[in-house]
Amino acid sequence: MKTENTAAGPGKTSNTFQSSRSRRFKAGLVGWLFVAAAVILIAAFYFYPMIQALILSFQTGTGINMKFNGLGNYQRLFTDKMFLTAVANTFIYLLFQVPIMIILAMFFSVLLNDRKLKFKGFFRTAIFLPAITSLVAYSIVFKYLFAPDGLVNAMLLNIHLIDAPIQWISDPFWAKVTIIIAITWRWTGYNMIFYLSGLQNIDQSIYEAARIDGASAIRQFFSITIPLLKPIILFTSITSTIGTLQLFDEVINITKGGPGNATTTISQYIYNLSFEYSADFGYAATVSYSIVIMVIILSFLQFKVAGDRNA
Amino acid sequence: MKNWKKILLPLAASALMLSACSGGGGGTTAATNGSGGGDTEKKEITIWAWDPNFNIAALNLAKEKYAKDHPDVTINIVENAQADIVQKLNTGLNSGTTKGLPNVVLIEDYRAQNFLQSYPDAFRDMSDKIKAEDFADYKAGPTSFDGKQYGIPFDSGVTGFYVRTDYLEQAGYTVKDVTDIDWDQFIEIGKKVKAATGKAMLTQDPNDLGTLRVMLQSAGSWYLKEDGVTPNIAGNAAFKEALETYKAMFDADIVKLNSDWSQFVAAFNSGDVASVPTGNWITPSVKAEASQSGKWAVVPIPRLKDTSNSINASNSGGSSWYVMNVDGKDAAADFMAETFGSDAELYQDLLSKIGVLGTLKAASGGKAYEQPDEFFGDQKIYSDFAKWTTEVPKVNFGLHTYAIEDILSAEVQNYLNGSKDVDAVMNDTQTQAEAQLK
Repeated sequence: MKTENTAAGPGKTSNTFQSSRSRRFKAGLVGWLFVAAAVILIAAFYFYPMIQALILSFQTGTGINMKFNGLGNYQRLFTDKMFLTAVANTFIYLLFQVPIMIILAMFFSVLLNDRKLKFKGFFRTAIFLPAITSLVAYSIVFKYLFAPDGLVNAMLLNIHLIDAPIQWISDPFWAKVTIIIAITWRWTGYNMIFYLSGLQNIDQSIYEAARIDGASAIRQFFSITIPLLKPIILFTSITSTIGTLQLFDEVINITKGGPGNATTTISQYIYNLSFEYSADFGYAATVSYSIVIMVIILSFLQFKVAGDRNA
Repeated sequence: MKNWKKILLPLAASALMLSACSGGGGGTTAATNGSGGGDTEKKEITIWAWDPNFNIAALNLAKEKYAKDHPDVTINIVENAQADIVQKLNTGLNSGTTKGLPNVVLIEDYRAQNFLQSYPDAFRDMSDKIKAEDFADYKAGPTSFDGKQYGIPFDSGVTGFYVRTDYLEQAGYTVKDVTDIDWDQFIEIGKKVKAATGKAMLTQDPNDLGTLRVMLQSAGSWYLKEDGVTPNIAGNAAFKEALETYKAMFDADIVKLNSDWSQFVAAFNSGDVASVPTGNWITPSVKAEASQSGKWAVVPIPRLKDTSNSINASNSGGSSWYVMNVDGKDAAADFMAETFGSDAELYQDLLSKIGVLGTLKAASGGKAYEQPDEFFGDQKIYSDFAKWTTEVPKVNFGLHTYAIEDILSAEVQNYLNGSKDVDAVMNDTQTQAEAQLK
């Protein structure tokens, strides 16, 4: 192309200009076409439903008998005891489960990153394996493990840690504990993978320098590993937060939200409003948007707390 | 040429993705529905139901029988979980397109009004094909709306009080002593049985308020008032007595806790409980433990003691068929009317072959019903159930059974563990229900 241009000489400048412009336009068009496939699909299957849901969230009624009621649904959120219980439950999971899981994942990844460790592949696989199990399948297994006469109670009774079986499923407190244990088991390995890859990106020479300076292993962990893993910590805590806000399968399958509403989550409430109760899709959409708002606020806070703009 | 390739490639890729998407969504519709878009001429009927051993088996019997006289009609029976049917109906009817929906669908009675009222015109009025009076009176509540009969009433959820006669004997009781009793007597007997045999009287899942519902309906009362929308909790005397009785059962320490269906069934199959007061649909599960043959009897469900209109008959669950207002609705209506809507002989087969207890009045007698059951000490249990079915008080389940039950189950927890008294529980449930069911 370049040779062609120079050969043409100054006489044909305008012509060349035009053809290069049309060529550039064509190249641009092709580029847009590449993007278009993705954009059209995302718009049709993400943005359009999102906008429709937003419109729906201002309507009330059952089934097809819908009418607009302004901000009524959003006001109803604040007086709806079931919704507030669901939010409280979800935040209890969030406050306990996410930190426990992040710390565990970091702990395992540092252990597994040890160069002298044998059977590294086996341990990595073993800890990651829960992440590939089906949500429903593992929930049902947990339900039976934690049944009044299940394996966990049998073990605890045998080693004389407890005198009577713990009501893991039907006691409001222990039911929450069971859910937290279950999701921690399922997702720790998944998050560990991110930390492992993060750790492998840290230059060994930094640790070497620290050792020469006489820094202890603990000091190295807090002064080198954690600061350098900060973006990963931020990423995993945001994705885990979003995941916990959308928690559904485990609760449905292990406790069905019970006893009472002691383990109900926001997602389960949305499902109940739509399909269990009276097909109130308008209010269900409002509750869905409340999750969106919470995710935005929490992610914003986490970015602020992490305090790193490039993160 | 090169440019063309550049353009074609993303187009092809997007087409591929689109077809992949539609494959995911459309695949299920194609598989589950042969006739949604089909015309009336072809006479193809698609029916959705759950439970292969009960509803689906019943449909197959009806289909076989109908096919003999009507070779031109093709009937596709599709099994879906109940939760899936509820979801698909809701999403389908909401989207405003009836494509992908069946011609006939089974709906649980507790949910029926919800569909009938939320989606007017979605179901075919069956008043011209069947008569509500032909069926057990209490079935008319859930299956009709606005003076029109939409549902074809199906199975009876009539309750029975299943008792282990051998345990009763050990405690010094006979079957007669537990017949037509009230719940207070039930608790007293339960205590004696526990003292004599060490077995709990019954098993309960504290999250499942089925027993409370049974008590309520025995008094002709429900969570909602007659209009089907106004919560009927605070100031409802029958409800108060039911709640107090329910707690008394737990306080008397005669309840073995369970947390799901399999533990529920295991409790009586293993002989850990002396009785099961519940719907007749439990019969096959009770009989599943063949070693207990001859040790069981079924008597009428206990009634509430102080609520004067409470009787020894009630209901738990049950469903009905609904013809949808889509192409082929008349063929479907004919099929349903000719089989489940009127064929008394079919109900004989349904009972003897599958154990389905229908609600068609004309079919409440006959050979299959008079058959003594060895497992229950040669008692004619089906004839008894059929008799009790006619006595079940009619109530309007209304729109919000499950919504109220979720509010209530949290409050009942507070009541059972003693942190709230019965009036506070009822008032709080009422307030929450009123706020929620706007």
